Amino acid sequence: MGQVDGRFAFDFYPLESEQHTRISRFFDHLREGRLTTTKCKACGVVLWQPRVVCSHCRSEEMEWIDLPREGTVFAHTAVLAGAPIGFEDEVPFVVAVIQLKGLDFRVVARIDDAKYEELHIGDAVRLKVITLADGRVWFRFVPAR
Amino acid sequence: MRKVAIVGCGLTKWGVRAATYKELAQEVVKPLFDDVDDLDRSEVDSLFVGSALVDRLAFQAYPAPLVAEQMGLTPTRMCMRTEMACVSGQAAMRVAYMSIASGMSDIAVVVGIEKMNVPNLAETQASMACVLDREWDGVNGLNAPPYFALVAQRHMHEYGTTREQMGLVKVKNAEYSATNPYAHFSKKVSLEKVLASPMIAPPLRLLDCSGITDGAAAVVMTHGDLAKRFTDTPVFIEGLGQATDGSLVVNLKSLTTWYPMKAATRDALGMAGVGIGDMDLAETHDCFTISEIIEYEDLGLCEKGQGGRFIEDGQSKIGGTLPINLRGGLLCCGHPLGATGVAQAIEVVQQFKAEVPRERHVGGEWGLCHNLSGSANNHAVMVLHRGG
Repeated sequence: MGQVDGRFAFDFYPLESEQHTRISRFFDHLREGRLTTTKCKACGVVLWQPRVVCSHCRSEEMEWIDLPREGTVFAHTAVLAGAPIGFEDEVPFVVAVIQLKGLDFRVVARIDDAKYEELHIGDAVRLKVITLADGRVWFRFVPAR
Repeated sequence: MRKVAIVGCGLTKWGVRAATYKELAQEVVKPLFDDVDDLDRSEVDSLFVGSALVDRLAFQAYPAPLVAEQMGLTPTRMCMRTEMACVSGQAAMRVAYMSIASGMSDIAVVVGIEKMNVPNLAETQASMACVLDREWDGVNGLNAPPYFALVAQRHMHEYGTTREQMGLVKVKNAEYSATNPYAHFSKKVSLEKVLASPMIAPPLRLLDCSGITDGAAAVVMTHGDLAKRFTDTPVFIEGLGQATDGSLVVNLKSLTTWYPMKAATRDALGMAGVGIGDMDLAETHDCFTISEIIEYEDLGLCEKGQGGRFIEDGQSKIGGTLPINLRGGLLCCGHPLGATGVAQAIEVVQQFKAEVPRERHVGGEWGLCHNLSGSANNHAVMVLHRGG
């Protein structure tokens, strides 16, 4: 899953517990199958990724909102060679920019169960939550066929 | 503000070098000070070191004093390292410019050094990937080749740019690098060879990508009153621009139009009081073939979306609208991150001084250098003018 045990300087996945971050609820939500981000209660801006301070109005009052679990491929490629350490065993894999359904909002994520040449811009995808060996979670997408 | 000139240049051989970061710093001393042989190293009052990944790839923090010692320099005014990933080199020149223009420094060495090749290249790839937002972009296995593959796919989708047009960028740059003994890859390549090279991140193939390269590049910079002491042909930095657009990939204004590049170009040309049409040559940041195509467009050399056509028509070759990347670019010289921005300026200086092989010499009096970093979210542009 891309982790290098005991080597923080090569661990790409965020530290997700309350001990390490103020957005640990993002990961709690992922465990419930929900992709979420923060909305500023003061100015209403919705930002990716989740924030603890609004970069628009400096408010610290945030609320969690659910993002759509469905989207479409805006752009995609596949990593066939030259993967970063920890990801070498997962090659080939598809990486994409995904347009979330009904929103002017995009996220970068891997698309599992897909080959580069079988996917096209505009194809429908849906959220998938993965669990790493050490129990942390992350999100990917899969084709919605 | 004082005028600022480049008065000396030095390059090491670039490639997969059997040499450490520190040894590259030592190597560049000789060509640099051979080029300004009436400058005593004790007169250098400032040192600016452009290195992007030295902390991770040479496991060495705090490199500026270390480089000073390796180069035999004892700066008494300014000594610092600049880090802006792939723009670390031009960032170092930009800070040196400010220091000299303000009167803080009189004679500065700017050196870009990068040691990219380590025993396990997957470590280099990881250290490159964390140039992106590591927690939200890099974590998905996104790195330079797949990121620029997304850019290429969108450019092909939006504007009809073709695989062949991208390949022609490599063919052009390889033709020029064949005259460059410092280049990592100095052999001509055919379009067929580019299009048959191994797929790395579709639609990008191996020969669409710049190399993983070790190397150093250095210049001596000083103010206008001193410049003539060292050379009959000082090259003045007349314009500088830099603009940055956040970090997260999905928050960039566009994948295929590089708005910070347009802003940095406008500012640099405006500061110099010239237009893009006044340039005699340019060095642009061709980290991937698609990059150079977008750069034609966002420099204003052609309409948006017509960059593919621009290379197809030979407009970026000698004799075309504007000769670009005559040293062979990043695609053929390789891309030791912090060294690239400095080496781009050296090509322009050596073109003005007719110190490059005849096959790629265009000379002239105005040149532009463009250096980008990360997800093309930061761009730096420098306009150079031949003095003397």
